[in-house]
Amino acid sequence: MDHYTQIQNQETIVSVSGRLTFNDHASLRALIRELCDNETKRQIFELSGLEFVDSAGIGMLLIAREELANRSKELVLRGATGQVKRVFTVAQLGKLITIDD
Amino acid sequence: MSALPLSQVAGKMGQSGTERAEDIATALQGARVLVVDDNQVNLHLLTAILERGGIGWVEVASDGMQALARLPNFDPDLLLLDLMMPGLDGFEVCRRVRALAAFRHLPVLVQSSLNRAEDRARAFAAGATDYISKPINANELISRVRNHLRNRILVMSLQHYRRRREAELNLARRMQQRLLPRQPQIEAALAKGLVIRSHFAPSSELGGDLWGLFTDRWGRQAIWLIDFSGHGVAAALNTFRLHVLLQQIGAGDHDPAGVLAMVNRRLCSLLPQGQFATMLVGVVDPEAHRFIYATAAATRPLVWSEGDRVPRLGGSAGLPLGLTTRATYENRELGFGRGTSIFLYSDAATEIAVGNGILDEEGFVAMAARLLIETNDDDLLPRLLPELAAVGTLDDDLTALVIRRT
Repeated sequence: MDHYTQIQNQETIVSVSGRLTFNDHASLRALIRELCDNETKRQIFELSGLEFVDSAGIGMLLIAREELANRSKELVLRGATGQVKRVFTVAQLGKLITIDD
Repeated sequence: MSALPLSQVAGKMGQSGTERAEDIATALQGARVLVVDDNQVNLHLLTAILERGGIGWVEVASDGMQALARLPNFDPDLLLLDLMMPGLDGFEVCRRVRALAAFRHLPVLVQSSLNRAEDRARAFAAGATDYISKPINANELISRVRNHLRNRILVMSLQHYRRRREAELNLARRMQQRLLPRQPQIEAALAKGLVIRSHFAPSSELGGDLWGLFTDRWGRQAIWLIDFSGHGVAAALNTFRLHVLLQQIGAGDHDPAGVLAMVNRRLCSLLPQGQFATMLVGVVDPEAHRFIYATAAATRPLVWSEGDRVPRLGGSAGLPLGLTTRATYENRELGFGRGTSIFLYSDAATEIAVGNGILDEEGFVAMAARLLIETNDDDLLPRLLPELAAVGTLDDDLTALVIRRT
């Protein structure tokens, strides 16, 4: 997984690309800490460059949502396509996390 | 006080998985060193240095043949070897020691007055572990001997630790295998007109997949398949929990959606943050010729009848288990008359890397559909699994089930 972060209009946009799997555990943990500590309320994961997510990846997104919610911050998943979008749909992730298309 | 042999101390350390300084000191007291030198004065000197340095058991040999003869019985932890000896010299002793399987990893510390770089290179080529120059400095000698013994203790304790962990994982794997349906259950299903074929393969020693059968209180055959997120020991422990949980909740008293809802509520309090499970529970209604099922984000079931060219795909959207107590599940239905088969599988099959992408559900269904036409479903699993393996490496647990109504 690769990602870069930019802040605009009081929103943090994290563009995530590549594959999101168990191997990204450490870097996603660091990213979540960063998002928890920044100034903005709304954290957007821009996922149009993400090709693949496995069950561990979904788990980490859920952890991100929970930790951000604990700090009264919102997590939004945006622009998922292909396999990632199908997994979100099958898991009905939209019931737990705001999904923006 | 009689000291324990070094290997036993290492074994104890391996059991506890710890490395304490006092254990190493104890191990040195039990260490055996064989000193080989053709000069009696040297033998006495080296023995005295080693004993003063805390080495518990020193024996001597005054030539190469004697040294080799002593090896099997004395079983040293280190060989302190002179190079220049009449008869069998140190180089040859080294080579012969290394040729013996039991002593391939024995530390051999060579001591010699040959101090040219080529001599050292020759000694290492013959299998020496380390080299110390004559005249011997007592402090240097004892430091090197202790270092090599300490390494040996640590390596032995790690080997011991690893063997123990492997044995425990093997035991756990056999326990997990015993959770799977046994022959009597499969035969009971057969008596109800259902032929069940299965494949169950954890990706490592232990996995997070499990499947099972039960009969509901209306006497109908139910089948379930679960896939806990992640794999390895943590995921496997969850499969044991689930096995107990299904008995506790009396799965047979509920419809598939009800079973999922109850399992979900239990798992919400059991699973740590970020862990979850996907599951399918289905029941065969033989009178209405239906397969009634509910899923929590499981893969979509495939159904086909004899002569079909394309399988039907069941729906499968549903919240994974263990995320929110508010989740509800719905019962779905698929026509399931005589001569119809259902294929259920865990998502490892759709996550195989292919080039830059993956063999996703579409690719997998296409593969299965082609095989359905080419073969009868008795041969489906034996044909499908090698094809999957040929596509790429599975890096998750794979469970696949074919249920046919006769």
